[in-house]
Amino acid sequence: MAYTPSRRGLLQAAIATSFAGVGNGCDIAAPGRKVVVVGAGLSGLNAALILERWGFEVEVIEAKERVGGRVWTLDHMPGSPEGGGNVMGANYGRVIHTAHELSVPLRNPPQALPSDYAVGGERILRQHWATSDANPLPEAWRSTPPGRLIAKLNADNPLLSTRAWHEAKLMAADQPADEGLKALGFPDAAIRLINANNSYGNNLSETSLMALYRIMGEFGRLSGPALAVKEAVAGNMRLPEAMASRLRRRVALGEPVMSINTLSSGVQATLASGQTVEADAAILALPIPALRQIILDLPPSQLAVLDDVDYHKIVQLHCVVDEPFWEAAGWGGSWWTDGLLGRIFTRPIPGSNRYNMTIWINGDDCDPLNALDDAACTDAILQALWQLVPGAKDVTSVGQLVRWSNDPFAGGSWALWRPGQAGQAHGAIRAAAGRLFFAGEHTAEAYRGMEAAMESGERAALEVMRSLS
Amino acid sequence: MIPGRQTRCWLAMSACLLAAATRAAPPSGEQLYDIACLSCHSLGDAADHRVGPPLGGLLNRKAAMVKDYRYSEALSASGWSWTLPTLLAWLSDPDTAIPNNAMNYVNPLTAGETQRLGEWLLQQP
Ligand SMILES: Cc1cc2nc3c(=O)[nH]c(=O)nc-3n(C[C@H](O)[C@H](O)[C@H](O)COP(=O)(O)OP(=O)(O)OC[C@H]3O[C@@H](n4cnc5c(N)ncnc54)[C@H](O)[C@@H]3O)c2cc1C
Ligand code: HEC
Repeated sequence: MAYTPSRRGLLQAAIATSFAGVGNGCDIAAPGRKVVVVGAGLSGLNAALILERWGFEVEVIEAKERVGGRVWTLDHMPGSPEGGGNVMGANYGRVIHTAHELSVPLRNPPQALPSDYAVGGERILRQHWATSDANPLPEAWRSTPPGRLIAKLNADNPLLSTRAWHEAKLMAADQPADEGLKALGFPDAAIRLINANNSYGNNLSETSLMALYRIMGEFGRLSGPALAVKEAVAGNMRLPEAMASRLRRRVALGEPVMSINTLSSGVQATLASGQTVEADAAILALPIPALRQIILDLPPSQLAVLDDVDYHKIVQLHCVVDEPFWEAAGWGGSWWTDGLLGRIFTRPIPGSNRYNMTIWINGDDCDPLNALDDAACTDAILQALWQLVPGAKDVTSVGQLVRWSNDPFAGGSWALWRPGQAGQAHGAIRAAAGRLFFAGEHTAEAYRGMEAAMESGERAALEVMRSLS
Repeated sequence: MIPGRQTRCWLAMSACLLAAATRAAPPSGEQLYDIACLSCHSLGDAADHRVGPPLGGLLNRKAAMVKDYRYSEALSASGWSWTLPTLLAWLSDPDTAIPNNAMNYVNPLTAGETQRLGEWLLQQP
C-alpha cells in the first residue's frame, strides 16, 4: 500500500503471493506463510497490510461488525463526533502517511469553544479564575487553569529520552502520583484538581508519577512539516476502513475469537461461531482486557503481568446543541468541572449553526455510572448537566452514550501504568510467546494512542517475518 | 492457451519451491526500510507530507540539510554527517546519539537488521 517495492522486492512478493494462492494446485501446503490477526483496529490492520505487502497470506478476524476498534466515528450523529481516538498528533508519522497514501483527507480540527470552570459547585468565568473566591489554589498557583496544573511537572522532568521511563536509575518516580506530586511541592488543592480529570490513571494514588512524566515529556517532541494536530475530514474511522479495504482478503466481521491453541506447526484460532482458523502464527492486536477473555497458551508469569494492567475508564455523552445557550451569560461554551460531569467540550459543526457537545467523564467517577443501564446512566449525566447549565435543557439532544469499560472488546480506553509498573511490565506484556505475537497501543514504545497502535503493528509484523523466515 | 492440469501443477510447484527459497531469507534491507522508516521518510530529495525529512542520497550528506524541512535545533547543531557508523549509532539510540532531537523512534530492529538496513539505505541515490 504505502510503498512501491523495487523490482526485486516485487518479484519476491509476487512469488510469495502466487504461492499463497496455489493451495489446490499442488499438495505442498503453504508452510510458514499464513498469519491470523485478531482485531481490526489500527494495530492489527497495519500489521496485516505490511505482511500482505511482503507476500504473506493474512486473515484478519474482528469481533465487532465494524473495523476500527477504539477509533469510532459516530456517523449517525450530526457533525459525526469521535467516540474514540480523536486527535492526531502533528508527529504521528505513520497515521499521517497512511492517510495520505489511502486518500483519507486530514484537516486541522475546528477549535473547541473556550472553557469556563465549575469547581466546588461554583461556576467561574474563565477570565475570573485567578481572582475567584471559588479558586481553591494558594496564591502562587492561582493563575494556572486547572487543566494546565499537571504541565508544571515539566519544570523539572527527569525523562530526557523516549525510553527513559524504563530506566532503573529513575525508578524512584515510579511511585503513586499523589504522593509524588506532594513531595514535589504541589499543594493539596492542586492535587485534588489534577485528580478530578486525570486522563492517565483512574485515580492519582494508582497512577505512577512516571506515567505522568512520560506524557508531559512527550509534548516537546514536535518537528516536521505540520505542527498542528489533525483529524480525518470525514471522521477518523475512514482511516481503518480504508486500510481494511486495501487488504486482499476481507476482514471477517462479527467473529469474536474465543481461544488460540498452539499446534506443533502453528496455531489454531477458534471463533465464537465454532469455526476454526489455522495459521503459522497469530498476532493478537487487541486491548488487554479483551485479550484476557481469550484462552491462550502463555507462560504464567506473562499471564500474571497481563492480569495486573489497569485500563482507563471513560464515559462520554455525545449531544447536539441547537442554540448557543451559553452566549447570553458570557460563557464560552465548554466547561472544566471537578464534579460528575468532568469536562464538557463543545465545538461548532462545520457548515451548520449547531454544535457537538461531548461530556467526557474520566476515571473512578465512571464506576457508579457504569453500574447503571444506558437510560439511567444518560439520565444521571443529563440531570447533572441541567443543574450546571439549566439553559441547556431545551436546546440539547442526546446522540450517543459511549462507555469503553463496558465494551467487552475494549474493556477501557487505554492501558495505564500503576506505581511499580514502569520498569518491567511494559516489556513483559508484548513478549512473543512461541507463535503468538502481540500488537496494540499498549505495546508501543515511542508513541501513545493511534500512532502507538500503528507503531506496534510494524513491530509485530517484523517479529512474525523474522520468526517465519 | 489454458495450461493443462499438469502444467498448472508444475507452475505452482516451482512457485512453491521458489517461494520456499525466498522465504528462508531474513527480512532484507529494503523490507526493513519499508516496515520501519518509510512512513516518515521518503527516498526522494524534497520535503513532503511526511513527518521526517527525505533520505535519498544520504551517504556523506551533512545532517539537517534538506531545504524546507523544519529540523530540531539539536539535529541542526549536531555537526553530524551520515555514514554507516553514524547512521547505526543514530538508529540504535537516537536520544543518546543526539539529545533533544525530534525523531520519536525506538528501534525495534536487531543489530544485524539495523546494519542490513543501513547498508541498503546508504546505497540509495
Ligand atoms: C475515548 C477515547 C479517546 C481517545 N483519544 C485519542 C486521541 O485523541 N488521540 C490518540 O492518538 N488516541 C486516542 N485514543 C486511543 C486510540 O483510539 C487507540 O490507542 C487506538 O485506536 C488503539 O488501536 P489498537 O489497534 O491498539 O486497538 P483497538 O482499536 O481497540 O483494536 C482492537 C480490535 O480488536 C477487536 N477485538 C477485541 N476482542 C476480540 C476478539 N476476542 N476477537 C476478535 N476481535 C476482537 C476489537 O473489537 C477491536 O476492533 C482514544 C481512545 C478512546 C477510547
Ligand atoms: C515516526 C516518524 C519516524 C520514523 C518511523 C523514523 N524517523 Fe527518522 N526522523 C524523523 C524525524 C521527525 C526526523 C527529524 C529529527 C530532527 O529534526 O531532530 C528524523 C531524522 C532522521 C535522520 C536525519 C536526516 C537528516 O536530514 O539529517 C535520519 C538519517 C533518519 N531519521 C533515519 C531514519 C531511519 C533509517 C528510520 C527507520 C529505521 C527512521 N529514521 C524512522 C522521524 C522518523
